[in-house]
Amino acid sequence: MEDRVTTLNNSEKRSDQWSQLLISVGETRDRKAFAQLFEHFGPLLKGFAHASRNEGWFPGLGDDLVQEVMIKVWNKAAGYNAEKASATTWIYTVARNCRIDMLRRKSNTQHLPLENEDFWHEPDEETPISLLQQKRSEDRVQASLAQLPKEQDQILRKVYLEGKSHAEASAELGLPLGTVKSRVRLALQKMQVIVSKEAQE
Amino acid sequence: MINTTNHHPDENMLIEFSAGTLETAASICVSAHLHFCSRCRTKLLRLDQVGSQIMSQSEPMEVADNAFDQVMEKIDSADLVSSSKTSSATSASTSINTSDEGFPYSVKKLINTSLISKNWKRLSSSVDVARFKTGQEDFEVALHKICAGGKTPKHGHEGLEYTVVLKGSFSDENAVYREGDFLMRQPGDVHQPMGAQNGECICLSALSAPIVPTSPLGFLMKPWLRINPM
Repeated sequence: MEDRVTTLNNSEKRSDQWSQLLISVGETRDRKAFAQLFEHFGPLLKGFAHASRNEGWFPGLGDDLVQEVMIKVWNKAAGYNAEKASATTWIYTVARNCRIDMLRRKSNTQHLPLENEDFWHEPDEETPISLLQQKRSEDRVQASLAQLPKEQDQILRKVYLEGKSHAEASAELGLPLGTVKSRVRLALQKMQVIVSKEAQE
Repeated sequence: MINTTNHHPDENMLIEFSAGTLETAASICVSAHLHFCSRCRTKLLRLDQVGSQIMSQSEPMEVADNAFDQVMEKIDSADLVSSSKTSSATSASTSINTSDEGFPYSVKKLINTSLISKNWKRLSSSVDVARFKTGQEDFEVALHKICAGGKTPKHGHEGLEYTVVLKGSFSDENAVYREGDFLMRQPGDVHQPMGAQNGECICLSALSAPIVPTSPLGFLMKPWLRINPM
């Protein structure tokens, strides 16, 4: 990792506006910054909730999710580490975990005390990849997503946006499970998010 | 933390974990593995970036005008209540000691809140078990402890079973499994694990029941839901 850095120059600090705003919320409880985040992410979160096609879905899920996620964002902002993830990625993980927990609460009575965010409790550590590498991979994801062939784009949306398991996607699309699995991997290989087996050797 | 794990969840499992669609039994074990494995944490971060981009490019939906004010109201009233309160998931005392063992957060939380009994239960001369209450019929979660050098009887598995080594190591016919290693056993797999000579081994296992169509005879599947000894 030749571009791993121990101290970050200002130019390498995360510069996208959402991450800056999130840092302000964490550091100074900046309400104006929080309002701007709300304005940008609120509608996206609502759309994300409505895209879900899971058991437990209910009409008010969108508004509930916006509220719950944004309150978590406010409360957890102090722990946000811009070197690890952009604000968008960080808020996505909060939203994903909230969405699962809300759907689960509606669809069954589970005694297991774990909330989905408990699964993402990472140990404190140095960032495994440098900010620069991470920024690059995020830009690449953004650019390459737009260029995916239709069927690969469709499968990723089913998985990430609609929240379908591979098995559910296979049933819905009428494809064998193995095909779904390899199509998902192929899409992510194309985006250079995962490395193909041949390339690893 | 130096990464010494050799056995990882496969890519599709990480993808489903990242999308939040992996079933609970598997998620519990993937989460425990991630605690030990920086390689998989890095992969997960990349996969989360995909999720976040897909979310960002999705169709936004209008939010009510007063939604922001409502959120701020809740935040302000919660601030008053919680300013004095600090919460922690790791306080209760139990004879299953985890405090100094670097266990994953989710496992500590389970131990502190959900053990059926606070003590290990003997399963065989070399294996102890501590089961968790899950309130679910489609998966079971437990800790297993193999004593140093302990041999377990040869046995098979009926459901899909996930295991993560939390402490020590054990081996079977195929390999040695060390802290953080993730194993998945298919229904029908037969094996005979052995504890390492140099100390006890503690593992987290989660069994997910085979998927069966909903039927009035569902209760007949019950016998499948027992976690087998390691």
